[in-house]
Amino acid sequence: MFKKVLIANRGEIAVRVIRTLRELNVPSVAVYSEADRSSLHVRLADEAVCIGPAMAKESYLSIPAIISAAKVTGADAVHPGYGFLSENADFSAACRDNGITFIGPSPKSIQQLGHKSEARKMAVKAGVPVTPGTKDCVNKKDAKKEAEKIGFPLMIKAAAGGGGKGIRIVREASQLEKEMTMASSEAQAAFGNGEVYFEKYIELPRHIEVQFARDTHGNVIAFPERDCSIQRRHQKLVEETPSPAVDKKLRAKLEKAAVDLAEAANYVGVGTVEFLLTQQGEFYFMEVNTRLQVEHPVTECVTGFDLVREQLLAASGEKLTYTGGHTVPLTGHSIEHRINAEDFSRNFAPSVGRVEEWILPGGPGLRVDTHVYGGYQLPIYYDSMLAKLIVWAHTREMAVERSRRALAEFTVKGVKTTIDAHQLIVESEGFKAGTTDTGFMERLLAPAEPVKA
Amino acid sequence: MDVKTLTKLTKWMESTDLEEITWRNGADKISLKLNNNPEHNHTIASTMEPVLSPSIGLFRFARPGKTGHLKEGAAVKNGQELGVVEVGKDFKSITAPSNGLLKIISIEEGKPVEYGQPLFFIEPR
Repeated sequence: MFKKVLIANRGEIAVRVIRTLRELNVPSVAVYSEADRSSLHVRLADEAVCIGPAMAKESYLSIPAIISAAKVTGADAVHPGYGFLSENADFSAACRDNGITFIGPSPKSIQQLGHKSEARKMAVKAGVPVTPGTKDCVNKKDAKKEAEKIGFPLMIKAAAGGGGKGIRIVREASQLEKEMTMASSEAQAAFGNGEVYFEKYIELPRHIEVQFARDTHGNVIAFPERDCSIQRRHQKLVEETPSPAVDKKLRAKLEKAAVDLAEAANYVGVGTVEFLLTQQGEFYFMEVNTRLQVEHPVTECVTGFDLVREQLLAASGEKLTYTGGHTVPLTGHSIEHRINAEDFSRNFAPSVGRVEEWILPGGPGLRVDTHVYGGYQLPIYYDSMLAKLIVWAHTREMAVERSRRALAEFTVKGVKTTIDAHQLIVESEGFKAGTTDTGFMERLLAPAEPVKA
Repeated sequence: MDVKTLTKLTKWMESTDLEEITWRNGADKISLKLNNNPEHNHTIASTMEPVLSPSIGLFRFARPGKTGHLKEGAAVKNGQELGVVEVGKDFKSITAPSNGLLKIISIEEGKPVEYGQPLFFIEPR
């Protein structure tokens, strides 16, 4: 195990990592920007150093500052958390070059799996199903033939694209030519490259992901799937495990896909494979996250594993805590609610200020991961997450009831939060029934149909 | 009690050694306490200007291959390099913010420094 670990992050995840380090008796080093001097991770760590001004670019995203902080404090490993430098191959390489262990995959793995097209190739190699589509760019001549192979509806995507630009959905053959011309000119304008390719459009899928862990000895575990379909503008709001849409047979297939991919990539550490699950129960590879995820606690609650501990074991060359097979048993049901400082009534506008009152829910089957306390002044420079409320119970129904009870107990004054939005979610028939998909939030927040007199 | 009387009473209190008084008149009661918080009463007057570390790293009086001759009491010029912070292979310059006298050197050669840590104090002139 490591002698001292520096956490290259802030907020709740820095607090989360410090907790496991403390249980392992490994000294921790917190790094902080000038805006985070009074943050909880600074107080909880064994040591803390200021690495730069408030702007993340010059502090939490500054590779030289963080490497320097590790050297100055004598840390032999760096935990990157999520976000910031956690999926940055250059940072992973800089750690290695300075004799510091990066607690995460190798620069090569980050490159292979962190880039979408490379990851897709790896998935194909590992025999994991990918969204049907053209491998290469499509020219006008072959468009009709290629489109018929995939079937409608399909998506036209810009080859050089990203951020949703240049994507057009085509529902029938007669629209293809017109939409393709438009997609191509949009792509030309946005990216200076008019090349496009086709991909099957999956209507209202579920977002399903499988957490896996693999050590240097080749032991690999895939954990029961998480369902993260409740999203708003591609930001996850609620995550749960297991998914109400996945049965034992499908779970086994999903877990096998994750194991195969981890082995094909010779991956070391924890990671997550994201899939789209269709209404018909087919799943397609979407992408790999080469880091610990925000929603990892739900997996911890139903399996009893500490995923940060598994990360530390894998990174230090030790064996995972469980080496008896590729899957682990699952007990009960767990739901996570991301509580953000956003004003739900004003279209989720960020809310800033001082947390005047902060009363956390308690009692059976609850966990709150947070860096916030009463009197905490929210810095304006970083993401708006205040806390993760995680519940677990024997059944999904009981877990939903527990969420409802816990959300009602959670009291925050001084800043607006998304607690109201979560209450709306847990009270909705769709969520209670477990029939969610990625269009759930849009439908929930849509203004109600005017009542006819 | 009206504002005028209150003002008179406060003024009078300040001229005495009293810190706190309670005044009663029938059902009326008023307590006055002087603000003796040292933060409010005695601001430590200093004209010295701190020079803060521009980065986390190791402090050096001079760049590699050179020697620094900085001593307390020396005259420094605005923009003069007082030392550097070694950050990996990079050296970040620490410069004097104004002309003046270098009153305090609060750092030693080779010591780790944090971002924003005061390294020198200069008396501008």
